[in-house]
Amino acid sequence: MEKTPEAAPVRSIKDLPSEENILPGTPVCAGCGGLLTLRYCLKALGSNVVIVNAAGCFTLLSIYPFTPFKSSWLYTAMACAPAGAQGVRDALDVLIEKERLDPEDDLKVVVLTGDGAAYGMGLASTSAAIHRNLDFYYICYNNEAYGNTGFQQSEATPFGSKTGTTPPGKTSPAGKDFPEKDLFEIWNSHKPPYLATISPAHPVDLINKFKKAEKYRGPKLFIALSPCPPGWATDPSLSVKLAKLSVDTGIWALKESVYGEVEHTYIPKSFKPVEDYLKLQGRFAHLFKPTRQEETLKRIQEMVDDYWNRYKLLL
Amino acid sequence: MLRVRFHGRGGQGVKVASRVLGTAAFSQGCYAQDFPLYGAERRGAPITSFTRISREPIMERGVISQADIVIVMDETLLHDPMAMPLSGLKKGGIVFINTSHSQEEAGAEYKITAWVITLDLTKIGIEMLGRNILSTLAGAVASRIAGLEEDSLRHAVEKEMSDIMTDRELIEKNIEASLYCYNAIPPVEIKTSGTREAGTVITMPFETAGVSSPAIYAIGNTPLRKTGNWRVFRPVWNYDACTKCMMCAARCPEGCILVNEEGFPYTDYENCKGCLICVEECPTKAVKGVLEVHA
Ligand SMILES: Cc1ncc(C[n+]2csc(CCOP(=O)(O)OP(=O)(O)O)c2C)c(N)n1
Ligand code: SF4
Repeated sequence: MEKTPEAAPVRSIKDLPSEENILPGTPVCAGCGGLLTLRYCLKALGSNVVIVNAAGCFTLLSIYPFTPFKSSWLYTAMACAPAGAQGVRDALDVLIEKERLDPEDDLKVVVLTGDGAAYGMGLASTSAAIHRNLDFYYICYNNEAYGNTGFQQSEATPFGSKTGTTPPGKTSPAGKDFPEKDLFEIWNSHKPPYLATISPAHPVDLINKFKKAEKYRGPKLFIALSPCPPGWATDPSLSVKLAKLSVDTGIWALKESVYGEVEHTYIPKSFKPVEDYLKLQGRFAHLFKPTRQEETLKRIQEMVDDYWNRYKLLL
Repeated sequence: MLRVRFHGRGGQGVKVASRVLGTAAFSQGCYAQDFPLYGAERRGAPITSFTRISREPIMERGVISQADIVIVMDETLLHDPMAMPLSGLKKGGIVFINTSHSQEEAGAEYKITAWVITLDLTKIGIEMLGRNILSTLAGAVASRIAGLEEDSLRHAVEKEMSDIMTDRELIEKNIEASLYCYNAIPPVEIKTSGTREAGTVITMPFETAGVSSPAIYAIGNTPLRKTGNWRVFRPVWNYDACTKCMMCAARCPEGCILVNEEGFPYTDYENCKGCLICVEECPTKAVKGVLEVHA
């Protein structure tokens, strides 16, 4: 179901659209990887959007009487942003039908949530929205825990991470002792028109994915691994570096899927060891000090290798 | 009862500071209570936390509006109308300010009539711990002012740090740095009265959703909030080394790096939060982080 022809791809960071649709002065943390992701996404989406935001860090973006957005924004409860998006989409469609809104002035409906909502509480309402083929975008900034409430584990928290609710100790020295859900695969099983993983370290890949998604009617879904300085216990200046390392170690695979057909959009020429990424973060510090947890480190590396072997992409 | 209020910014260790003080008091046989108050904001935003210490069981609850000791961990908050760290300081109370200024200078600069004590915790933190996390340092200063013993402080730092980190070396450094701060402050006498004046209770009238739920009609007005005072380091560009690749502008989460008439990048210091991603990402190392020195 083609809507508009695909726009020419962006080739380098210099060609990123110069428009800014989210302004400085937000209350989110210095160095927030999610904010950088959102800044790029809004460069691609423009300002004719309605953001439907589930409870999480980003509901702090608009706090009366301030907003960083040039567009509209609506706050919903944690589990039901896709249901909110349905309401907004329906309202816009009714207005267009009654000729009270020029189709030229139609708005894109964009759900914005953290991973706590996307992987957990909001999964059912997202599944239903994809199933109904709701014409909307979904951006999940995945900081791999409940950031807003002080970094408790979510269903995206990786194996080996310390969080407020997975403290490393005698019974589970690794911290969280089982891996995250594979939300990409769960969403992909619905065969949505467009689904992609993105990274704030790869804005060119990100923008081009949005441009490609634009031509499809129906759900267009994005998951971004987003460094979170307070939760990951990292220096704010390292957020981009960590996002790069998540891709270069193979931990975060950049890929897309069109109606269920998966393709990788970036395959590192040589994979860096996962330790390069883990050792920079306080949430994994217990894996290295006071003693190295060899088994756990080995298992994390194996999980990454298994993933790429499954796709026969490990060179 | 002693009522102590800590003011700092998210990420500086305000909550843990109040906890170190509470634990130190508890370990020498006092009753103690400590808790933080978060606004709806993140790292860098003003945060307050509270400690009550008493020889008798503490029946009082809620925020401390009348403090005997105020610990200002971030000097820029003294100008912040939202934080107002000095409000409600009791007559005869003590203000501690983390600053490079002397007591006299700080008192004059901020027009404080109460007894002022100063120490440059940021410098000590960066030199002794390698970072600007001031929890144990501010907890140490507060312990000294509250008249607690050195051993209680040592015990509290050991306990509270072991709860949140496994790095033994860093725990030792925290103990060393906190004892250094403890001993850098001369003993003082607090001359406030122990009782609290009755406050007034404000009741909110019930309003319909149309009145009580906030709606914002403005477009992109957060720059008015000026998050520039969150910075500890400011990015500074060396245009001799800059190749105008604009990597810094592209990578800035805030989008506050702009281009000047000659095509060089510069940041909007009014809102730059000082994350220093630009310093990390510049391929020619043309951006440096320089320690902010406030007012
Ligand atoms: C049903 C429900 N339960 C709990 C909360 C409290 N709450 C607000 S934000 C939040 C964390 C959300 O985590 P996530 O979706 O990962 O977003 P992040 O905070 O990381 O941005 C929680 C638990 C809520 N708003 N609604
Ligand atoms: S807690 Fe993490 S995700 Fe939330 S605003 Fe801060 S850096 Fe961003």
